[in-house]
Amino acid sequence: MLALRLSRGARPAVQLRRLLVAAASAGTGFLLLCALGYAMSHPESPAEASLRLVWCLPPLASTIHFAAAVARTDPGTRPRPGLDAVGLGPLRLTLLSAATTALACALGSMLALLVFLHLRGDLTGMPFDGAAAASLAADSPLPLPAALTLLALVPVTASAAVAVVLRPGEPVAARTGAAGPLPRVGGHDRPGRRETFGAYGRFGARRRRGEPAAAEVNGAAPAGEAPADALTADGRSPDRPEEESARLPGPVPPRPAPRGLPWGVAVLAAGLAVESYAARAGDGGPVLPAALPTGPTGVLAGWLLTALGLALAAPGLTHLCGRLVQAVRPGPLRLLAGRGLMAEATRIGRPLGVVCAVASAAYASALVSGDAASAAFGPLSTLGAVVVIGCAVATLLTAAVEARQDRADTTAALLRLGAPTATLRNAAVLRACALLLLFVPLTLAVAHLAALPLAR
Amino acid sequence: MVAPPDNDVLWARALHFSYRDGSPALSGVSLGVQQGEILAVTGPRGSGKTALLRCLSGQAPARQGEIWFNSVPVHTMGAQARERLRRDRFAWIDPTPSLVPELNVWENAALPLMLRGTGRRRAKTAATEWLERLDIGALARKRPHQLVRAERQRVSIARALAPAPTVLFADEPTAPLHRADRTQVLRTLTNAARSHGVTVVLAGQDAESAAFADRTLTLLDGRRVNTVHLPPVTEPEGRAACSLSV
Repeated sequence: MLALRLSRGARPAVQLRRLLVAAASAGTGFLLLCALGYAMSHPESPAEASLRLVWCLPPLASTIHFAAAVARTDPGTRPRPGLDAVGLGPLRLTLLSAATTALACALGSMLALLVFLHLRGDLTGMPFDGAAAASLAADSPLPLPAALTLLALVPVTASAAVAVVLRPGEPVAARTGAAGPLPRVGGHDRPGRRETFGAYGRFGARRRRGEPAAAEVNGAAPAGEAPADALTADGRSPDRPEEESARLPGPVPPRPAPRGLPWGVAVLAAGLAVESYAARAGDGGPVLPAALPTGPTGVLAGWLLTALGLALAAPGLTHLCGRLVQAVRPGPLRLLAGRGLMAEATRIGRPLGVVCAVASAAYASALVSGDAASAAFGPLSTLGAVVVIGCAVATLLTAAVEARQDRADTTAALLRLGAPTATLRNAAVLRACALLLLFVPLTLAVAHLAALPLAR
Repeated sequence: MVAPPDNDVLWARALHFSYRDGSPALSGVSLGVQQGEILAVTGPRGSGKTALLRCLSGQAPARQGEIWFNSVPVHTMGAQARERLRRDRFAWIDPTPSLVPELNVWENAALPLMLRGTGRRRAKTAATEWLERLDIGALARKRPHQLVRAERQRVSIARALAPAPTVLFADEPTAPLHRADRTQVLRTLTNAARSHGVTVVLAGQDAESAAFADRTLTLLDGRRVNTVHLPPVTEPEGRAACSLSV
């Protein structure tokens, strides 16, 4: 009930994000049900039916990715001092976010079921009744357990993923002492000070094991500090959740620079190499549904490796991009833009890498498959592609919103200094342009390289 | 509209201000600040010190009343003009030092100068000069999260003083510090301001900030008072009644 009440009171932007999650879940659920329908109407070819089921994995994965990103930015389910004080601590709020995610995904699944039944002709009274009755095996009754299992897949996995992503990373008891907000001196709330939501890896969920606390790393002796600050200094980790910065005075140590760049480049290169070797071997490979370019199995593995490499390398590349922007004798604009990009490299870079991987895969398959193939690009493949691309882009935008909300404090401080809003806006535009300048050519190059062995 | 006296750099008349939720903050505060003066605004918590400073510095528009800065009306300015005024003429120190976390110490201190359009080298020179003067020159290349709070507050003082503002607003700059740090921060702030002829409006709860100031203005419940006479706290209310009833 609390999850319902909290989700009802949210602002339109938040509701829109939840609706997008529901839509993605509906798309994925419909694809899963269509795989079921295919299996029912073609009982003689189980291999092909299970292949169709396997092809539902990319939409499923991107839906879960998006749901986790939305849960991280959800203001309704982040720890609040008021709720903490009445006993609704970080742990239960994590469960609450999982419940909210499950709610949105279940809504989407219901929608998918309705549309599916409608297209089969089981539900009547609207246009397109039973429009796809033949292909969805309308003559045989729908096996309810199978349908329910498939429909429950998205809500269950998504809420489990959210619970894992947002799980409190440190003992709750240790945090409660520092959790209270320091009362704002003067008692005037600042205008424009927004709640900073959904830190990336809140509660130190992203805290890496084996890394010493930052107090030791920095050598900043907490001894001379006021007691409240000493408390933070003790528990600080490099990946300390940002929302603590809203609660506790003092800056949060930045996340360490992403170190995945060499790995990413290596995996990318390995993927391209595997692909070109496999194309030469040419074993026919699996038959892919619809119009996806067919090729040897090794090519497919190579593509997957390439996509993984792009996603791994992207945070490092984003950091590099920020470093280049603020490189030689920067003025305030380049300084703010570049350093901001460096600080947000992990948060922005990961979804950006996924977007690049998806975009390069889409571009490469468009390059390889000719006109004849694209004519055979069926509605289900289109739906799958829309879900995957839409989720990737929406996740990136959600991450950008998260970063902006996270930096609201800094922005407010800059505005108090009298920093022109135009400068701040230009810095954001500069960041976006720098990222586009780096990642668009990279994506195109990777796509061309990936398409090369198949095009021969 | 009455023109303000000529020798006042900042002059306000009958300021009324209330928060967005309607709770009153200031009701009819008038004051004048002279060139190069250090004015302490004291009063208990919730008496409207921060609201007064925010109104005077043009961060929040007053509901009623007039504010003049060097014979220019601030209360009629648009948001853009007030922003420019803040950038070019005013400086602000927060109760908790709010530095930009990605920039190192000297870049933070030089940021207002650079935002004004000063070249990078000159901004750096000015910023490091002020950092040296405030005894934190050795930390110039560190990041804010590597400093303790008193050091961060001194960085924000350097950031406020480096662009040589006409008026410096300090909103309880010593609130989160211990007493030893508190005195030191106040002393460096007022000494630096005096030696450079910067006008300072200094809000503070304690009598300590008043000791460093030329003049003190006391606020109570959003009004200006000469002396704070609160009824003495004798014993817990209701205790006598309870003991009688037993």
